[in-house]
Amino acid sequence: MATRIQFENSCEVGVFSKLTNAYCLVAIGGSENFYSAFEAELADVIPVVKTSIAGTRIIGRLCAGNKNGLLLPHTTTDQELQHLRNSLPDQVVVQRIEERLSALGNCIACNDHVALTHPDLDRETEELIADVLGVEVFRQTIAGNILVGSYCAFSNRGGLVHPHTSIEDLDELSTLLQVPLVAGTVNRGSEVIAAGMTVNDWTAFCGSDTTATELSVVESVFKLREAQPSSIVDEMRKSLIDSYV
Amino acid sequence: MGQRRPAKRRRLSRTPSLLLSFSPFSRFLLFAHSSSVPKSGSPDPSPSSKSTVDGIADPKPPKAIKRMESSEDEEEKQEKIEMVQADFEFFDPKPGDFNGVKLLLQSYLDKKPWDLSGFVDLILEQTTVGTIVKSASQDGEEEGDDDGGDDDESLFAVISALNLGRYAGHGCIKELKRFLLEVCSDESTKTKLKLLLEQQASDVGLLVSQRFVNCPYQLVPPLYDALFDEVSWATEDELFCFLKPTQELRDSFRLKYYMLLTRILENKNVNQRKAKQSQDYEEPFIYIKAEDEIFRELSLLSFTFRLHAEQLISHELKNYREMGLVMVVKADDISKFREKLKSLLAKS
Repeated sequence: MATRIQFENSCEVGVFSKLTNAYCLVAIGGSENFYSAFEAELADVIPVVKTSIAGTRIIGRLCAGNKNGLLLPHTTTDQELQHLRNSLPDQVVVQRIEERLSALGNCIACNDHVALTHPDLDRETEELIADVLGVEVFRQTIAGNILVGSYCAFSNRGGLVHPHTSIEDLDELSTLLQVPLVAGTVNRGSEVIAAGMTVNDWTAFCGSDTTATELSVVESVFKLREAQPSSIVDEMRKSLIDSYV
Repeated sequence: MGQRRPAKRRRLSRTPSLLLSFSPFSRFLLFAHSSSVPKSGSPDPSPSSKSTVDGIADPKPPKAIKRMESSEDEEEKQEKIEMVQADFEFFDPKPGDFNGVKLLLQSYLDKKPWDLSGFVDLILEQTTVGTIVKSASQDGEEEGDDDGGDDDESLFAVISALNLGRYAGHGCIKELKRFLLEVCSDESTKTKLKLLLEQQASDVGLLVSQRFVNCPYQLVPPLYDALFDEVSWATEDELFCFLKPTQELRDSFRLKYYMLLTRILENKNVNQRKAKQSQDYEEPFIYIKAEDEIFRELSLLSFTFRLHAEQLISHELKNYREMGLVMVVKADDISKFREKLKSLLAKS
């Protein structure tokens, strides 16, 4: 299920949170509504951890992670690092890395199997990503943008990319990532997908400006409403029309 | 709604060496491309191409093109001064401007969570009164997708007047009224304010004016002129979805008062405010938008309130604290305001 939320009047919820299949990080300082929205959906299943990174609230854009690990920029303080190591499950490897491009969330987009990275990332960082996150790493651009972490969001079940991505690029990325991809927007036409939403395998949180159409696209591409009978009918309908021709 | 084409987000280009503040808005000035054109004369504003349309809802053309040249003082500086040439266009509000206007009004009600999106929608739906300032189309830096200023990242300023009575039913206006009453600390002012917001709401227009911090000041008088002219034209022929103009809607622009909610910087040091003769006398108030000072002089009532949101104040202004300011100005005093505004620009 996809939920619409706000962080202090901002609809850029992907900036202030990081959601994976094993944990969820939330920025401090927002109203309790933000935190409780996450708690309501996730509390029983995965830990929801309030934190800052480098003293800032833009944690979603500074860190990159999946169920295997979490990568933090070199600007993370020791206390924050310790806090995260203590709060996250033991199987999650928390690692602070020395990388010139410190906004890791903007440079790396990943799920539990594959990661797309900024083309200018260091070789050592690429190896660390493969090690810590346990993923295969591909250097890519999305619709000509090098900040792959900002312009796409994907989980193990589907992905949403920048609206100006060409069909060829979509096919290529889809083959690399092995998940269905769709080009679309969130927050009433915002192209910065990963800033406007955050997603894992069973739930997504979008900014409150997200229209009903955008929300339904999110729910269908990430397969968040598989229990609904209507989706089964839609799938059937597609195959029926194919056979009609 | 019109075409829901996704808005283009510009990739941020290199930071220019001069950034007067770390305001999130000044980041958006990174679009400006430098040119080595030497400083020429004063800007020549082209006449506003506004035509009163009688009873026909045509999409209005861009109202005025202002050629601005921001000039730098040619003092003895080692490095070359970057000249920036910027063209601005004035447009009617339209739904595509949503993200840009929302960004400008992000901190309108301090930190309080409210229906900002609804408020922005109200501004954008009121196409007859209200202006959006955008930069004129770029020279092929981005994909040429500019049709009538669809590029809302380069949205610099917004100005509008919303009748508080006409929109009284909307949640955002109710929240706004509640906020204004909450932050007013003085009881007598509060009673007057309450009267204006409730019984006399249909005579009060909320003047929303917001722009990026480093906007050239030459934009401001035409912006206010455009607004007040539109308000007076609207009393003659207000249109509503192609229907015949109704008396009710025309009347909604016969405003008696304008209410403004804005920001100023107040000197933290109480002594400084009193010591007028002292050597290092600092201004008790710094008006972020210079016209606010004129409004305040002419205002019927005004009060300041403390802000709770994080403050981004530059080092030079460390003795100052940002405060909210609410003012009510009589509509009759607007002509005085317009004159004073022009003379303020002539002086500076």
